[in-house]
Amino acid sequence: MTVFEPFEAFGDLEEIAERLASEDPSVRRLAVLDLVETSSGEAVPLLAGAILDVEPVVRQQAAQALGEFDGIDVAKALIGAVADPVAEVARAAADSLAELRDPEASGVLLPLVTHPAAFVRAAVFRALKALQVDASLGPAITGLGDDDPGVRVQAVGVIGYLKKTETLPSLISATRDKSADVRLAAVNALSFARNEVAAQAAAAALSDPEWQVRAAAAEAIGRIGQASAAVALIASLADGYWQVRQKALQNLGRLRVRDGVEAIVAFLDDELPSLRKDAAAALGDIADQRSRDALTRHTGDADPDVRKTVIWALGQIGGG
Amino acid sequence: MPIAHTPTAVPVVVDEAKCIADKGCTVCVDVCPLDVLRISDLTGKAYMKYDECWYCMPCETDCPTGAVTVNIPYLLR
Amino acid sequence: MDEIKNGLSEVVCDILVIGGGTAGPMAAYKAKRHSPGARVVLLEKANVKRSGAIAMGMDGLNNAVIPGYATPEQYTKEITIANDGICDQAPVYKYASRCFEIIQELDGFGIKFQKNENGDFDVKKVHHLGSYVLPMPNGDTVKKALYRQLRREKVLISNRYMATRLLTGRDGRIAGAIAVNTRSAEFLVLRAKTVILCAGAAGRLGLPQSGYLWGTYENATNSGDGYAMAYHAGAALANLECYQINPLIKDYNGPACAYVAGPFGAYTTNSEGNRFIECDYWSGQMMQEFYNELQSGKGPVFLKLNHLHSDTIGKIEAVLHQVERPSRGRFHENRGTNYRERMIEMHISEIGFCSGHSASGVYVDEFARTTVPGLYAAGDMASVPHNYMLGAFTNGAVAGEHAAEVAANIDLADYDAADVIREQQRVLAVTRREDGIPPNQLEYKTRRFVNDYLQPPKVTAKMKLGQARFAEIREDMESAMVVRDAHELMRSLEAASILDCAEMAAFASLFRTESRWGLYHHRVEYPEKNDDDWFCHSILRKRDGRMTAEKRPVAPYIVPIDESERSAYDRQRIRQHA
Ligand SMILES: Cc1cc2nc3c(=O)[nH]c(=O)nc-3n(C[C@H](O)[C@H](O)[C@H](O)COP(=O)(O)OP(=O)(O)OC[C@H]3O[C@@H](n4cnc5c(N)ncnc54)[C@H](O)[C@@H]3O)c2cc1C
Ligand code: SF4
Ligand code: SF4
Repeated sequence: MTVFEPFEAFGDLEEIAERLASEDPSVRRLAVLDLVETSSGEAVPLLAGAILDVEPVVRQQAAQALGEFDGIDVAKALIGAVADPVAEVARAAADSLAELRDPEASGVLLPLVTHPAAFVRAAVFRALKALQVDASLGPAITGLGDDDPGVRVQAVGVIGYLKKTETLPSLISATRDKSADVRLAAVNALSFARNEVAAQAAAAALSDPEWQVRAAAAEAIGRIGQASAAVALIASLADGYWQVRQKALQNLGRLRVRDGVEAIVAFLDDELPSLRKDAAAALGDIADQRSRDALTRHTGDADPDVRKTVIWALGQIGGG
Repeated sequence: MPIAHTPTAVPVVVDEAKCIADKGCTVCVDVCPLDVLRISDLTGKAYMKYDECWYCMPCETDCPTGAVTVNIPYLLR
Repeated sequence: MDEIKNGLSEVVCDILVIGGGTAGPMAAYKAKRHSPGARVVLLEKANVKRSGAIAMGMDGLNNAVIPGYATPEQYTKEITIANDGICDQAPVYKYASRCFEIIQELDGFGIKFQKNENGDFDVKKVHHLGSYVLPMPNGDTVKKALYRQLRREKVLISNRYMATRLLTGRDGRIAGAIAVNTRSAEFLVLRAKTVILCAGAAGRLGLPQSGYLWGTYENATNSGDGYAMAYHAGAALANLECYQINPLIKDYNGPACAYVAGPFGAYTTNSEGNRFIECDYWSGQMMQEFYNELQSGKGPVFLKLNHLHSDTIGKIEAVLHQVERPSRGRFHENRGTNYRERMIEMHISEIGFCSGHSASGVYVDEFARTTVPGLYAAGDMASVPHNYMLGAFTNGAVAGEHAAEVAANIDLADYDAADVIREQQRVLAVTRREDGIPPNQLEYKTRRFVNDYLQPPKVTAKMKLGQARFAEIREDMESAMVVRDAHELMRSLEAASILDCAEMAAFASLFRTESRWGLYHHRVEYPEKNDDDWFCHSILRKRDGRMTAEKRPVAPYIVPIDESERSAYDRQRIRQHA
C-alpha cells in the first residue's frame, strides 16, 4: 500500500532557477511556466530576467507569465518587452501590461506615452485606461493628436474611463476624427455626460458617413437623455441603413419622444419584423394615446414577437 | 466475453515536430477535462489515447508550442 | 500512468469542496477568506485550471441583476413564473440580492466583463422588464483568474481525484468523502467538518443524436456523480422530473447562443424564416414550442443572422468563436456554413439534470444547506432554479461562507471504517475480473434507453419498461463490468452514477402525475397542469436502501405574485436566455 501527497505543489524557486539557466530553450520555457505555478512574488525577478532571454519563445512565455503578477516591478519588466523586435513578444507584453491593476504602475507607464513606437504608445494608453488615474488625463488629451489611429482610440478610452466633464471638448473633437474607429470610440465615450453639449455632439454624429458611428450616436443620445436631440433622432428614422433606424426607434422610446409617434407608427408596417417590433416597443414606452388605433390594427401581425410587443404596448397606453 | 478493439479516428492531432514533451512538458495532458491525452513512451510526444473528447480546446489553447490541433469528432462533423 | 495501484491516504480538513468548476472554486475561496486559518480542500476530478462548464470561459452572464437595470424582486418574480410557480423564493431572492457584489468581486479578480467606453458594465437590454445579459468578450480568462486567487489564498487543490461516496457519521452528520485517483486508482479518504458538493450537472444522461457519448451539451466530465453521492448519503433531491433540454446547434450540440446574438438582432425561426416562439421567457413552455415546430411541417428550426450587417456578424463571431465553445467556428467551417449567407440549423439537446437551466437538483435552502447536516450543494446540481454561471458563483460563495462558519464551531464527525472498506470493494470489483463488459458499452446502453424511454413526451408504460431495462443493466454492471486501467475505472464509476441518475429520472417522472414545465415534464396521459394536487416539490430520497418519493410544499412566497401579474408577465416577457 502506498501513501501519497494529494495536493498540488507550489514549486521550488531555486530548482526552477537552475532550469532557467539551462542551455535548452525548451527547458527554459517550461521553467517559466513553473514560475507561474509558484504564485509567489519572488518569481517576478526571475521572470524579469527571462523576458530578456536570447530566444524569442522564452521571452514571449515570460511576457505572458508576467500577466499573472502585479506591481511596479512587473510593469518595468514588461515595458521593455513592448518594444521587442519580435511581434509576438511585443503583443504578449502589451496584453500583460493591460492586466496591471496596481495604480502605482502608472508612474512607470506615463513617461512612455511619447515612445517612438506607436505600438508601445497604444499599449501604454491601454494599460493606463484600466488604472484610472487622473495623472493620465493630460497625456491622453495630447494623445488625441497622435499620428496613429490605434493610439488615438486608446487615448479616447483613457479619457472616457475618467468621466470628467471638462474633457468633453476634447472628446467632441475626437468625434470628428478622420478615423472611423476613433469617432466610434469618442461617440461612445461622451455619453457619460448628461448634458446639452454632449447631446448635440451625439446628434451631429448621426450624420457620420459610417453606419456603426451613426448607430452608436443614436444609443448615446438615449443614454445622455436630453430631449433636445430628439429632432435629430426622428430624422435618422430615415437613415439609409436599417440597423441605424432600429437604434433610432429604440432610443426614441427610451427618451419618450412624443413628437416621434407619427414617424414611428409608420414602422409598424415595415417589412422587417425586427423594426416592427422595436416600433411597437417604442410606442409602448412613449404611451401616447395617438398610437392606440395603429397598434390595435397590428395585434394580428404575422410575427409572434411583434404581436406580443404590440399587446404590451397597448397595455402601457391603457384606457380607451 | 473477450474484449475487441474497434478502430476510431481521434479528433486531436499533435505535431510531433513541435511537441516538447520530451523536455518535460505535460501541459495538454494536465489541462484536458476528460483526461484523454498522454505522453507516449515510444515517441516521447503527446498523443490522444482515448477517443472521449468534448472538443473543448484547452489542450490546443494552452500548449506552449502550438503543437495541438483539435478537430471536430467525425461523428459530429 | 494509468496502471492500477494499491494505495490509501487519509487527510483531515475543515471544509471540503467537491468539484472545482464554477461554484467550487468560489466556495473554497470564500471559505478560506472567512476562516484564513482553516484547512480548505478543493477536490477535482479533472484539473481546476480548465475544468467544468466554464473550462474555456463563457460568453456572458445570462442573469445578472444589476442595480439600475433590474431588481431582486422583479428577478424573483420572473424566475418563479418561469418555473410554473414551483419555486422556493428565498434562495432565488438571496442570489438576486448578492450577485452584483459577486460580479464586482470577479471584476476585481481580472475577469473581463464587457464595459462601455466609460468603464461601466455594458448590460444589454433586450426586453422591457429587466436587463440581465452582461457579455464577457474575453470570457476565456475566467478560470485562470479564479485559479490565481485560489493559489494566493493557499487553498489545497487535489486534481484528478474523483469523489465516489460521501461519509456520514453515526449521528447523521457529514463526516467527509472517499475519492479515487483517476490515474492510479489510489484511494483518498477526506475527513471534513463540512462538505460542499459542486460536481455540476448530470450531462451524460441522454445520448446526443450523434451517438457520440462525449458530444454532450454539458461538459462531459459531469456525469451526475454529485446527484448520486447526495442520493446515497440520504439527501433530498427535488423535482428531478423537470429535465434540462436546451436548444442548440444541430450536431455540434453547443449552445445556440441567442443571448449573445440576440442583443445584436439575431433570432430563432422556422424553415420559412419566420419567428414562431410565443412564450415570453426561457422555460419548458418555450422548449415545447420549439419541439412542436421541429416536429411540424415548418421544421427544422434555425438561428437567423443573415439579415444582419457583415460587421455585426463579425462581432458576434468574435465572441462565439473565441470563448465558451471555441470549436464552433471549426464546425461551421467543415460544413461550409457562414452566418452571413445561411441560417444555422438548430435542434434540441439530449435530456439531463441541471438547475442551471431548469429547476431540479439536490434540495437546498437559502444557505445552500442540503437536508444532511453539514452537507452543502451549489451550482448546477443544487435546486436553485435558473442559476447559470453567476448563480454558481454566488451560491458557491454563500455555501463557502456558511460552511466555514459552521466548521469553526464543531468537531469532525467519526465515520465507520467499514464504510471505507465497503466502498473500496465496490469500486475495485471491476478490476478483479479477467473479462466482461467494458464501461463504455454499459454507459451507451443506459443512455440509449434514457432516450428511448424517458425523453418527453413521457409515457408511463415506456418509463416502466425503461426501469426494467435499467435493472438489467445494473445486474450486468455488478456482475460483469470490467476495466483494465485506472482511466477506465473512472469511466466505470461514472457509468454507475449515470445509471443512478437514469433511475432517479424515471422514478421522479412517474411520481408526478400531471404535466408541468412544458416539454420538461410533458406526461401524455396527464396532459394538464394540476395545481390542486401538484403545486408542490417532488422530493426523492433513499430511505432504508430504497428510492422513495414524497411531496413537499412550496415555501410561502416572499415576493408575492398576483394572478393578473402572472398573465401579464406571460404576455410581456421577451425571450432572452439561451
Ligand atoms: C456549453 C455551456 C454554455 C453555457 N453558457 C452560459 C452562459 O453563457 N452564461 C451563463 O451564465 N451560464 C452559461 N452556462 C451555464 C453555466 O456555465 C453553469 O450553470 C455553471 O458553470 C455551473 O457551475 P457548476 O460549478 O455547477 O458546474 P461546473 O462548472 O461544470 O463544475 C463541476 C465540476 O465538478 C467536477 N466533478 C464532477 N464530478 C466530480 C467528482 N465525482 N469528483 C470531483 N469532481 C467532480 C467537474 O470536473 C467540474 O469541474 C453554460 C453551460 C454550458 C454547458
Ligand atoms: S502541451 Fe504541447 S508541447 Fe506540451 S506535451 Fe502537449 S503537445 Fe507537447
Ligand atoms: S479538446 Fe478538450 S476533451 Fe478533447 S483532448 Fe482537448 S482538452 Fe481534452
